This record gives sequence, structure tokens and C-alpha cells, in this order.
Amino acid sequence: MGVGYRAVGWNRNKKRYDQVVLVGVLLSIAAFVVLSLVTDKGLTFETALIRSTAITAFLLLHVILCIGPLARLDQRFLPLLYNRRHLGVTMFAVAFVHGVFSLIQFHALGDTDPLVSLVTTPISGGAAGFPFQPLGAAALAILFLMAATSHDFWLANLTAPVWKALHMLVYAAYGLIVMHVALGALQDQRHPVLLAAVIVGLVLVLGLHLIAGFREKGSDREVAPSGTDDLTGWVDVGPADEIPDTRARILTVSGERVAVFRDGTRVFAMSNLCQHQNGPLGEGCVRDGLVTCPWHGYQYRPEDGQSPPPFHERVPTFATRVVDGRVWLDPEPRAAGTFVEPSTTTNP
Amino acid sequence: MRPADPQQFFVGYVDGVPQRTRSFLAPLIALCLVVVASVAGLAATLQNDAGDGVFEFGVTKPFAGWIERLPHPVLVSPDPSGDGHSRYLLSAFGKHGADELFTGAPGAWYELEGTLVYRDGRSMIEVVAGSVSIATTPTGAVHPTASPDELGVRTLTGEIVDSKCYLGVMKPGNLKSHRACAVRCISGGVPPVLLVRDDEGYATYYLLVDDEGGAVNERVLPMVALPIEITGEVERHGDLLVLRSDPDSYTLLHE
Ligand code: HEM
Ligand code: FES
Repeated sequence: MGVGYRAVGWNRNKKRYDQVVLVGVLLSIAAFVVLSLVTDKGLTFETALIRSTAITAFLLLHVILCIGPLARLDQRFLPLLYNRRHLGVTMFAVAFVHGVFSLIQFHALGDTDPLVSLVTTPISGGAAGFPFQPLGAAALAILFLMAATSHDFWLANLTAPVWKALHMLVYAAYGLIVMHVALGALQDQRHPVLLAAVIVGLVLVLGLHLIAGFREKGSDREVAPSGTDDLTGWVDVGPADEIPDTRARILTVSGERVAVFRDGTRVFAMSNLCQHQNGPLGEGCVRDGLVTCPWHGYQYRPEDGQSPPPFHERVPTFATRVVDGRVWLDPEPRAAGTFVEPSTTTNP
Repeated sequence: MRPADPQQFFVGYVDGVPQRTRSFLAPLIALCLVVVASVAGLAATLQNDAGDGVFEFGVTKPFAGWIERLPHPVLVSPDPSGDGHSRYLLSAFGKHGADELFTGAPGAWYELEGTLVYRDGRSMIEVVAGSVSIATTPTGAVHPTASPDELGVRTLTGEIVDSKCYLGVMKPGNLKSHRACAVRCISGGVPPVLLVRDDEGYATYYLLVDDEGGAVNERVLPMVALPIEITGEVERHGDLLVLRSDPDSYTLLHE
């Protein structure tokens, strides 16, 4: 293929992560099955399997969707983001068991091909007559696409923006599943607590995204060029010592987010978008002299925005200048990987 | 909001999670596991009862009798005591009716193997493929001669279910979750019945036929598993109730 990619490999953190995920899945399935038995609901084995996997996958999806905004709100959640891919693949696998068993149970051994039967249930007026299984099937197809392309190999081949757009479809899948549940199980299961639980989940997912979005907007200072003299068209970033050591200040210039770092006395700037999965570099830190992405730890050299060999990632760089303790930024991006001399500040 | 110390900054491929992050996350992860298990358990506890239908899965028994066509074949079997008859709805394997399994002349005596499905006193036999044969009528077997009781015109409110799943093959075998399956079964020839539950929860089943006594399977498909009102002539064939009504006159109640 010739496209270099760096696999986020196995390590102890990942193994621990996967163990916890597995425990969660088994706990959820067991809780459903055991309580169905204890309360004597009279379910057949197939129904218990179909429902326990459905609920488990649905819960996992909530966890997955909440991790993103939580990590943006508080960096201590970042370890959960690090290996979210495995959560996604696990969720797909559990949902797949639910979907396949539903397909067999409700559509196989009949007078029509099961896949045709799945999408040809007659539509009748009202919510009770609207077929809900095709909605679940559409969601499953999206989840499959995401799980199948989740490896960094695809990320490198599809390029980060395409990959990111593809993975935004998870929100479409979530919407489809909420409808799948609202038009399906909730039409039968009339206990108000069940409806309330679905709504609480929806509010949690939407609420966290909104809060994280607003916070980001608030910190997103769109800065207009204000420089004078030989800094004409440059942008005032503010006092150098207001940027915490080894950290960055993120600002938006002409719609692009730029991360302006300070490492001791050195000041430099690069695009905020990590080439891996578009993680926010400006929320990372300088570690071992390299800008380190908070999401999966990809690293970039301060002076040219390039990943050190053998890696190939590179991000656009920006020129900076420190005048009287204030940092100025040239809003013109340099091509990705272009060398720009970091500027220095006298009072670290 | 963010840790100022780069050593407290989590980098996934560096083994070990910083202490500050660990003591923050560990209780949250534990809480998350508890919440997940509790929600799954709560959903199990609050779900509807799947009912007390029985499918004697894996057990086959011999059955014998005449076939009455309503128009779906119904096995009319003399009770061992000699007086009276039992009527069994019939289905084939999977989501199929038994219409094509009984090819003999009217009045023929059939022997077959099957698995019993029953609920609320109504029974169905899932016929074992290839087990149906025609034999000579045993001496002493009395063919029921009485014509059906006409019980008059009634208006009934209930739900159209496929008799096979609802009586016990699937639990639950009705309502929205099961709708697609009921459509498939009825389309495949399983007899459609109107399930009517009174205020005490006592269930009565009416085999659905059109006003001419013909099969309604294809015509009722869009109306399956929905609250419905049907007005028609009720006939009693031994222990089996039949409701004659043109499906065009059925009224869905949810709109
Ligand atoms: C081919 C794909 C799918 C099919 C055929 C399908 C079918 C069904 C059916 C028939 C039910 C009702 C089961 C019952 O109440 O007994 C159901 C419920 C449910 N499904 Fe799906 N589904 C599919 C995909 C999905 C996916 C991808 C999810 C995502 C997590 C999902 C989540 C749920 C949930 C949460 C319920 C409600 C709980 C329950 O009653 O089991 N389904 N689905
Ligand atoms: S987005 Fe994965 S390392 Fe930056």
C-alpha cells in the first residue's frame, strides 16, 4: 500500500481497558438474564439473548458518545478516549449478535428471504404500525462500516478528514437506534421508567455535547489582526507568561484553529489539528521536547510541525514573535512541515 | 481544568496512568459498571410478562383424526373417552401453515406426529414433516355430524396474532416487537386469530375467515399486531370459535 501508518499498538493500558469493557458487557448481559429469570418473565432463551444484547449495546453506545465531550471538558477523562476504538468494535459485536438473532428469530424459516422480510414489514398508520427493525438494521450497517474502518490503516488511507466524517455517522446511528427503540420495544413496554431511561440517556448525550461545545466556543477567541509597524496583519496572542509552561493557548484566526505553545523561553505555533484523528494539539503538552497530542500521543517537532522519523505526519506551522513580553502570530499558515524558527521570550 | 504538570499528562503508549488521573477515574469507572448493570437489571424487571404459552419443544406425539377445512386444516380428533372431539389448529415447521400437508379426500382419517403448542385452553400441533399418512378410520370413531352453532353478529376488540407464536412458540408472541414475525407467519399460512382479552385477563381466540369462509391471511397483514375492532358472525365449531367478516370492514383503533 505504501502508505505509512503507525498503529496504536498493544500495551498494558489497553489490556486493562479491554478487560474492564469485557466485564461491563458480561455484567450487563448477566444482570438482564438473571433478573428476567428471578422475576419469572417467561421469556424464551432467544428473547433473553436478543434483549440482553440489545440493551448492552445501547448502554455501551451511550458510554462511547459521552467520553468525547467528557475528555474535552476534563483531561483526566483522556485515558478513556485513548482506546475508544475497542469500545466501538465491542459495541458493534454485541449489537451484531442482537441483530443477527433478531433476523433469524423474526424472519427466518418463512415464505420470504429473511433480508427481504426485514425491510418489507407493512407500514400501517401511527407509531404502532411503523416498522422499527429496518431502523436498527440501518444503524447496524453504519456501525459495521465504522468498526471495519476503525483501524489506523484505514485512517491513513482514507485521510483524517474523510475518516472523521465517516465516524461522525455514529450520531446518525445513535438517532436511528433511539427511533428503533421508541418505535419498537417502547411501544410494548409501557412502564414509564423505561421511557424515562431512554430520555435520560438522550439528554445526557446531547447535554454533554452542548456543554463541551459551548465551552470550546467560549475559549475560541477569533482574533482579528491588529498589529502595527513591521507586524502589519499579525495577531496579538497576549502576554507570553500567560501561556502555561509546556502548554498552548488555542486561538482562531480566519476560521482556523492555531495552537501557540510556550516551552520554557521558546514560543512557537502550529495548526491545532492532529494529523491522526484531528485531535486538539493545543490541549496537549510539550513532552521530551515534542508537541504531544492528548488523544493518542502522536508527536510533532516544535520548529517544523513534523513527526520525528520514522513517522510521516506533518502539520502547518505559523511564525511567532515576542515583543515586550507579548506574543504575536503571523496568521498566514506555512505549508505543513515548514521550518519556522521558534521565537524566544526573556521572562520564562 | 487541565493538569499543569506534564508528568500528570496521560500518554496512552507510556505504561501507567498518572496517579491523579487514576484516582479520579477508578471510582467513576466502577460507578459506570454499576449503573450499566443496574439499568440492564431494571429493564429486565420492568419488562412485560411473556405469558404462559407452552411449546413442547423437542417432544413429538402421535395424533389422529379427520381434517376440517376452515379453510385452514383443523384436526378433529375423537376424545379418548369416546364422546366429544378436540380441535387442533395446525402448522408446519417454521413460519408455515399446514394447508398443503393434507391431500386426502374429505372424510379421510389421518395419522401424524407433531409437537403441541398450547395456551388458555387452545392447542395447536406443529406437524412433523413427512409424518402425515392416511389410514382406515378406526372402528368406533364417530365423525362429528352437528353443524356449527351460529352465535350471531358480534363486535370484538383485540389484536390479530399468528396462532403459532402467540400460543407459545415465541414468548412474547404478540404486539409491536413481534409484529414482523407475525406478518411472516400469517403470510406463510399460519392461521390468523383474533385475540380478545376480557377485563379479568381471560383470553378468547377467534379463527379469522372472510364473510365467505375463505382465508384472509394476505389481506390482514397490514393490520397484524395492532389494536383492532372487528364486527362479524361468530360460529362455534366444537371447541373452536370462528369469526366471519370481510377484512375491509376491520377497523384499526390507533388512528
Ligand atoms: C439488523 C439489525 C437489527 C434488528 C433486526 C433488530 C431487531 C430488534 C427487535 C425485533 C427488537 C424487539 C425485541 C423484543 O422486544 O423482543 C429490538 C429491540 C431493540 N434493539 Fe434492535 N435490531 C437491530 C439492530 C439494533 C442495533 C444496531 C441496536 C444498537 C444498540 C439495537 C438496539 C435495540 C434495543 C436497545 C432494543 C430494545 C430492547 C429490547 O427489547 O430488546 N438494535 N431490535
Ligand atoms: S488524534 Fe490521535 S494522536 Fe492526535
